Amino acid sequence: MPIKNILIVEDDRFIGEMYVRSLNKAGYSVDWMVDGNDGLIAARNKPYDLMLLDVMLPERRGGEILQILRGGAQDLIPGTKVVVLTNFDQTEQARKDMEQYADGYLIKAEITPKKLLAFIEKLAASS
Amino acid sequence: MAVKDTRAEDEQLNRFWYRYKKHTLSRSIVLQLMVCAVTIGIILTLYPQPTIDAWIVIGLVTAIAIVSTIVATSIAMRPVKDLSSALVHISGEPTDLTPPNINDSYYSRNKLRPLLKQIYAIASANITDAEAPKSSIALPNISGQLNHTSTGIVMMNQSKQIIFANSAAPISIDSNGVRSLDLIFDVDQPIMEWLSERGEHDIHAEKSWRRIPNKLAGESERRIFDIHVSYDRGSEAETIITMLDRTGEYQPEDDDLDFIAFAAHELRGPITVIRGYLDTLNDELIGVYDGDQEELFQRLIISANRLSGYVNNILNASRFDRRHLKIHLAEQQLADIYDVIADDMRMRAEAQQRLLSVSFPPNLPTIAADSNSMSEVLGNLIDNAIKYSNDGGSIEVSATVNGDFVEVAVTDYGIGMPPNVIANLFHKFYRSHRSRETVAGTGIGLYITKAIVESTGGKISVKSVEGHGSTFTVSLPIYATVADKLTKEQANNTSLIQHSSSGWIKNHGAFRG
Repeated sequence: MPIKNILIVEDDRFIGEMYVRSLNKAGYSVDWMVDGNDGLIAARNKPYDLMLLDVMLPERRGGEILQILRGGAQDLIPGTKVVVLTNFDQTEQARKDMEQYADGYLIKAEITPKKLLAFIEKLAASS
Repeated sequence: MAVKDTRAEDEQLNRFWYRYKKHTLSRSIVLQLMVCAVTIGIILTLYPQPTIDAWIVIGLVTAIAIVSTIVATSIAMRPVKDLSSALVHISGEPTDLTPPNINDSYYSRNKLRPLLKQIYAIASANITDAEAPKSSIALPNISGQLNHTSTGIVMMNQSKQIIFANSAAPISIDSNGVRSLDLIFDVDQPIMEWLSERGEHDIHAEKSWRRIPNKLAGESERRIFDIHVSYDRGSEAETIITMLDRTGEYQPEDDDLDFIAFAAHELRGPITVIRGYLDTLNDELIGVYDGDQEELFQRLIISANRLSGYVNNILNASRFDRRHLKIHLAEQQLADIYDVIADDMRMRAEAQQRLLSVSFPPNLPTIAADSNSMSEVLGNLIDNAIKYSNDGGSIEVSATVNGDFVEVAVTDYGIGMPPNVIANLFHKFYRSHRSRETVAGTGIGLYITKAIVESTGGKISVKSVEGHGSTFTVSLPIYATVADKLTKEQANNTSLIQHSSSGWIKNHGAFRG
């Protein structure tokens, strides 16, 4: 499945801008939300191909957003792939939820924009 | 505090004699004075208005009575003094009482000698017992006293069962009532494993362990010991374990690491931006650099990557101490793991004028490893090789198959290490005297390197000649030899997820970013 529209939910402005810049340059169409509530609303209102989701977010944590979107009786975003990005260690439960609901997981400090682009290409090719 | 001191004083043996002497003498004198007073009262009733001479006689008689009481009481008390000073003497408690000499004829005359002799005999039996435990007298006598020390003492019999443990020893008792040592070994071989290796040829063996905790970092009532074990084959107490409680010295360093790990999470945000833009700009600025600008830019990248590596070491060490370090074993090619850090390592070596050569045989079998952690292991070893070698020096990374393992060797021809440094090399916070002076570092790089390698089911070893260089060898299990076990373990949850260098993609091969 080709990936074209991407939603980024990231509260760190420098990190958010950095990803938006690289993804735009690479030809993706990108929307960027800085808090968890806006991120959740955006994900439900527009069919994105990919959602890059931070964990430690204001208003709603990434885990909670995933739970709402994918933890119910039906998948509310069946056409969207979700990749979790974080720099923080997680509890065992949060990690299990993540593995159950997310399509990918990245440590931000280890991922440069260039590596993120390679990751997205691979993700697109995997389905 | 005051309560504790009073209790300790109450336990002192030499306090008995002084108190007994004071009380006995004062009571005898008071009694004698009462007898005198009653006598004088009767005389005055019978012969009222006595003369001056009569008063003098009364005074003299009273004085004589008191002196004779003191003398008689002292004589009567002497055996008590001798017995108690003999007991204080054999207990080893400091005292200014002279122990009685049993050859003194006084003791044979009053028949006290056999009693004193018996006391001294018990003491010498205790000493002989410590050298060659034959008698069973020693244990019950000293065991109570051993509860007063903060040093843990444990004795085991020939079947490695604990036959004695004082109250300071970290011991756990299972539901069957079996006592075992409650200690956590991470870098070192555990005591019980070492003991099981004492074969028939070992008559006597000793070994020390440093910095062994009884609980994980962050748990309450955690204590950290330096441990000495002595093994004497065939003795009743075949193994004697002494555990010196050094929590006060070691815990602050662990607390520091905890705090730094907490703070290190925050460092990852800025590191993300720095590494991200350096990588982006490095591509965009090609052709625009002037003079040495490109080299300077490479230094920025190298430094940011090193910073990120150190932060990862700190976070991993803190996770490992709490047993939160997650190692996701999967089938990996060694070359792929190295690829993740290859550019970074090449840049680092070039910037420091080291000749880095990496060669893996093309037909190397796949290994079971966590790609992310294992690239950190290789990064740490190469980083060390760069640090501890000289300008223009070679660093060689190679791999061979040895039995069920792939052995990766990182060799440098730098300053090398003496044997006493090697012995402590993998301990947390260990820094040799020399490296503390010449090379910056935290002393956790090799600690976490060993922890990761062993959590992977591998081994790490080092050979070094001072002045000629060092070779670190990491042995990693060949995937085929552990595949069955891994598949079973992962069947329930993670089999569909290939964990990789910087993250994972579901239902897909590892992402090698």
